[in-house]
Amino acid sequence: MPAVSVSRADGSPWGPTAPAVIDLQGVGFGYTPDAPVLADITLSLAAGSVVGIVGPSGCGKSTLLSLLAGLRRPTSGSLERRTDVADRHPLSMVFQKDTVLPWKTVVENAGLYATFRGRRRAAEDGEPPGPRVRRLLEMAHLSEVADAYPYQLSGGMRRRLAFVTAVAPGPQILLLDEPFSSVDEPTRIGIHQDVFAITRGMGMTTVLVTHDLAEAITLCDRVLILSRGPSRIAHEHRIDFGPERDMLRLRGTPTYQAAYADLWRDLSAEIAASSAAAAG
Amino acid sequence: MTATTADRMTGRVWAGRLAVLAVGLAAWQFLPQVEWLRERATVFDPFFVSSPSRVAERLWELCVGSGPDGVSVWPVLVQTLVATFAGVIIGTVLGGLAGVVLSSSIPASRILGPFVAFFNAMPRIALVPIFVILAGPTTTATVLTAVAVIFFLVFYNAFAGGRSVPPEVVQSTRLLGASPRSVMFRVRLPYVAVWTLAALPNAISFGLVAVVTAEILTGRVGMGRLLLNSISTADATLTFAVVFLLAVVGVVLVSASDLVSRRALHWWENS
Repeated sequence: MPAVSVSRADGSPWGPTAPAVIDLQGVGFGYTPDAPVLADITLSLAAGSVVGIVGPSGCGKSTLLSLLAGLRRPTSGSLERRTDVADRHPLSMVFQKDTVLPWKTVVENAGLYATFRGRRRAAEDGEPPGPRVRRLLEMAHLSEVADAYPYQLSGGMRRRLAFVTAVAPGPQILLLDEPFSSVDEPTRIGIHQDVFAITRGMGMTTVLVTHDLAEAITLCDRVLILSRGPSRIAHEHRIDFGPERDMLRLRGTPTYQAAYADLWRDLSAEIAASSAAAAG
Repeated sequence: MTATTADRMTGRVWAGRLAVLAVGLAAWQFLPQVEWLRERATVFDPFFVSSPSRVAERLWELCVGSGPDGVSVWPVLVQTLVATFAGVIIGTVLGGLAGVVLSSSIPASRILGPFVAFFNAMPRIALVPIFVILAGPTTTATVLTAVAVIFFLVFYNAFAGGRSVPPEVVQSTRLLGASPRSVMFRVRLPYVAVWTLAALPNAISFGLVAVVTAEILTGRVGMGRLLLNSISTADATLTFAVVFLLAVVGVVLVSASDLVSRRALHWWENS
C-alpha cells in the first residue's frame, strides 16, 4: 500500500524545505523473519520538525521509534540519521516507562548527560551544563523541587523530569515514546505547553509516538497514521497552528476540532481494519 | 488517629510487652521451685533450666570477670565480633560483586548458574572441616565459614538487583552518552547496592550464627567455645547467659545495620 498524503495546508514553517535529518527508505522490521512488524516505511523528517505517529495498538509505533533511536536495526530498507551539528548531542529519548535514577536528585538527574560525557566535554558543547539545566528546570516548573529525590515527586513531575533529562544535552533529535500517557489530562496539557516551548526553542527534530490525538495535534507539525501490521504509513496530516500555541485555548478552536475530526476519521478506519483482521 | 490516641496505643503496647516479660520471668523463676512440677518434668528442674536470677548473676560475673573461673566475656566477645565483621565485609563485597557481574552477563549467568545453585544448596557449615584443614583451628577458619554463608545470601540479592535494572533505564542512559563502563558503575551498581544493603541485616545475623557454630566446631576462642564449655560442664546457667548475650549482640548488630541501610538508602521510597 503506498503512503497516502492528506496534506491539509501548505507552507508550514517547518516544511520539507529544511535539510532532512532522518531519512527512511522502504524500512522493514520483524522480530522473526516470518512475522514482519513494519513494512516499507518511507519517511523524511526535516530539521526542527515535530512529527507525531499514531496508529492501532500493536501496529509497531514504538518499534519504529526504537529503529530511529538505533536500539534495533531494520531488517530491510535504509535508515539514515544525519546528526552532524558538532556541538550538539545527537539523540535522546523519553521512554514510556520511568527512567529517572532514584538515587539522584532532580537537578542531578537533569544534568546526567554531563556526568556521562564528562563535565569538561559537556561544557565544550557550548553552554556549561549548570545554567542550562537550571534554566530547563525553570521552564519545566521543577526549580522548586530541584533538590528533591524522585520518590518525593508527583507522577507528572517525574515525567517532566524525564523530559528535561532527555533534552538537557540539547539533542538534535528527540524521540518521545508515549511519554505522558500515565498522567492525568490537566497535568498533561500543562506539560504539553512546556514541551512545546522547549522543543521549539531548542530546534530539536522531534518524533512523538502517542495514543492521544489531542497530544499529537497540539504538539506536532505532521501526524502520521500507521496501518495495522505489518505497518506502513497509511495517512499523513499536516498541522498548521504555527510556532506560538496556547494548549488550553487551542483545544477550543474550530481548526483544532476539524484537525481532530480528520485524524479520527482516518485512525478509526485503521483501527476498524485492524480489529476486523484480528477477528477474522 | 490523633497524637494522644497514638501515644496511648504505644503506652499500652509497651505495658503489654512488660507484662508478658514479667509473667515469663516469674514463671521461669518460681515454677521450678514447685516440687510437684519438678518431680514430674525435667523442664522444671533448675539443674537444666537454671533461673533468671542465677542467669543475671552469672551475666554480671562474666561482665566484670568475678566468676569462679575468673573469665571475662569481653575479650571472648571481641573475638566473635571481629570474625563476624570480617565475614560480613568479605562475604558482602564478594557476593555483591559476583551478583552484579553475573546479572549483567547472560552467558556468564547461564554457564555458572548451576554451579552457584549447587554450592548454595550445600550445607555450608559442613565445610568447616575443610576450612580447618586449610587454615587450622584459627580465626581464619571461622571467618571463611561466615564468608561461605554470607556470600550466597548477598549474591542472590545482588543478582536479583542487577536483573531488576529496567532496560529502558540502560537504553536511556546509553543514549545520553554513557559508556558500558558508566552504565555498570553509575547505573547497575547503585541498583545492586539497594538489594545488597537490604540483605545486610540477614547477613549479619547469619554471619554471627556461622561464626559461633564454627567456634563450637573448631574450639577456637569465642562465644562458641564459651558455649561449648558450658555444655561440657553441664552448666545451664552459663549456657543461658551466653545465649542471652548473643541474642543482645544480634539485636544490636541487626538494628545498627538496619539504621546504616536506611541512612545509605535515604533516597529509596521503601527505605
